[in-house]
Amino acid sequence: MAVTKPTDRELGKPEDPDSGTLGSSSDLGRDAVRALRDHAAINRLADELLPALISRLSSSGLGEIEVREGAWKARLRKPATAEHRVRVDEHRLHGAAAVRPPAAGHRDDRDRHAPETAADEELGAIVARSPAVGVYTPRRDLVVGMRVRAGDRIGFVDVLGVQQDVLSPIDGVIGSSLAEAGEAVEYGQELVRIEVPGADGATDRPTPGQKAAAAPVAGRP
Amino acid sequence: MFNKILIANRGEIALRILRACRAMGIGAVVAYSEADRESLAPQLADEAICIGPADARRSYLSAPAVVSAAIVTGCDAIHPGYGFLSEDAGFADVVRAHGLTFIGPPAEVLEKFASKEATRRLLASHGLLTVPGSGMLRDEAHALEEAEQIGYPVLIKPSAGGGGKGMRLVRTARELEATFKVSRSEAQAGFGDDSLYLEKYLDDNRHVEIQVAVDRQGNAIHLGERDCSVQRRHQKLIEETPSPALSEAARRDLAERALRAIAEAGYENLGTLEFLIDSKGEAYFIEINCRVQVEHPITELTTGIDMVALQIRIAAGEPLGLTQADVKPQGHAIEFRILAEDPAKDFRPQAGQIGAYLAPGGPGIRVDSHVYPGYEVPTFYDSLLGKLSVWAPDRPQAIARADAALRELLVDGLTTNIELHRAILANQVFIDGKVTTNLLDRVGSAPFVAAGNR
Repeated sequence: MAVTKPTDRELGKPEDPDSGTLGSSSDLGRDAVRALRDHAAINRLADELLPALISRLSSSGLGEIEVREGAWKARLRKPATAEHRVRVDEHRLHGAAAVRPPAAGHRDDRDRHAPETAADEELGAIVARSPAVGVYTPRRDLVVGMRVRAGDRIGFVDVLGVQQDVLSPIDGVIGSSLAEAGEAVEYGQELVRIEVPGADGATDRPTPGQKAAAAPVAGRP
Repeated sequence: MFNKILIANRGEIALRILRACRAMGIGAVVAYSEADRESLAPQLADEAICIGPADARRSYLSAPAVVSAAIVTGCDAIHPGYGFLSEDAGFADVVRAHGLTFIGPPAEVLEKFASKEATRRLLASHGLLTVPGSGMLRDEAHALEEAEQIGYPVLIKPSAGGGGKGMRLVRTARELEATFKVSRSEAQAGFGDDSLYLEKYLDDNRHVEIQVAVDRQGNAIHLGERDCSVQRRHQKLIEETPSPALSEAARRDLAERALRAIAEAGYENLGTLEFLIDSKGEAYFIEINCRVQVEHPITELTTGIDMVALQIRIAAGEPLGLTQADVKPQGHAIEFRILAEDPAKDFRPQAGQIGAYLAPGGPGIRVDSHVYPGYEVPTFYDSLLGKLSVWAPDRPQAIARADAALRELLVDGLTTNIELHRAILANQVFIDGKVTTNLLDRVGSAPFVAAGNR
């Protein structure tokens, strides 16, 4: 949960009658009034608004609620579930060091991507996918050839101002990018290839690193 | 008018909305979950976007996913269809906060009609009858007193319950005495709240609903009624219009009273007021649906009005462009919900791949469905495969056309309720237009199917 006072720049002028063109820093009396008003606003938020918002959020299917009042806004967000944070496509890993997300929808996913999967496997490449629909930004220092471990953040997708991490599904080396920085991406979209040395089509055995990375998250069903 | 609409739903209604957008010359983007990639709407759409996994909570029910999808695809409005986020005031508010239009009633209107109890009180104050009931019961003596006033039989209902859970039917004061304490402890155990109230039990009731449309300027029309009395465990199976339960005068009177009440109460956009009609013909308001209904095609067939287009135009702020005099329902229409359910196995939902598929045709036949040969029915959502709607100049001809169409309709590969529909059509109670909402549950579906096979 976050209660923040946005900067004047973030706020539209009509919403903030106090954001006049004159600098207000020298006007101490005005600042004091403002501070008092802010305290009152915080108290009101804590006593009245937040309990109502929390019950509203938990009874709804929403993941996040944001409310603005005057110069203040409160944003509540449900914690991301574990499955949301770690998303690894089992079938891409020769079914070896795999983490299977609990969401059953991936059954379809497996069938659908079967042809690509075979191609990827021949190349020994795994793909990091988008965790959500939004705008993709890779990590600033992301370069081809960089080593990553399973679970490393390789970028994020901005969903209405909330960053959702793009994680490497596996230990490996960054390969080619499949989406540009700033590109609108859909859920599950392929973003970055992760080359896995030694995991070409012939091997069925995971490297010890893969196993270690996957084991703590979930057992193989 | 909008440039591009995000369709945030699935199945047949996503396809229906896509068709409306195309007919209106509006761009459309179909938002789909991973499990619906092969469904007809994302397949036919010029643009489609995957918003999440099969789990609806992370796709069709995720407000951030839906709104984000609308923004990144350049949409200026979101159509929520029915179910999912369609009546969620919080969602409508989020949509508006992001500068987009929610196609449905504005958030304040959804909020106002969100509570069933408050809506009943509100519309009662605008002249609609509601099912007589008590306030919260203090104790047994209070319950007996209230039940005497309402008149037996009565239902004991837990205040915190829902969907018929924890309800008890009592027909006499003695039964009430015997049941009261049990109900109270059951409510405490089941819902963590032991408050109870009473409601009059309407024995052989019919379900009749009035379709209304109100624009932002306050122009209001009704589009007649739909009779949805053929139900199984509160799920509608067959709907028809006009209702065979009411005379023409009674139908017009109910529609006019419903329209006046809802317009006075400050409603906006499409809405459906549901009523229970008791054996004496008295109509009791039960709830309102603030969205397009599954069964809207039968109203379209009799009135010739495109309801989804109307809904979109109202949301865009346009006036209705119709007066009550322009609504002239003609003939009779019946809709059949084609479900992937096995009537012989307690209506268990069926999943699997559709083999051969053939939709019927001919005069007055309409099929709304997202399936095709080879389509894999996913397990994650409801079992609705599509809707067969039939129009004819009168009810007997509509029944005859419907039977012919149901015989043509072919859905191989999984068990459906097509035969049950044919059996119901052949049943004398249906032919006489006397089906009550409890009929299928009381007698079970087996006798219908058995009689239909003879």
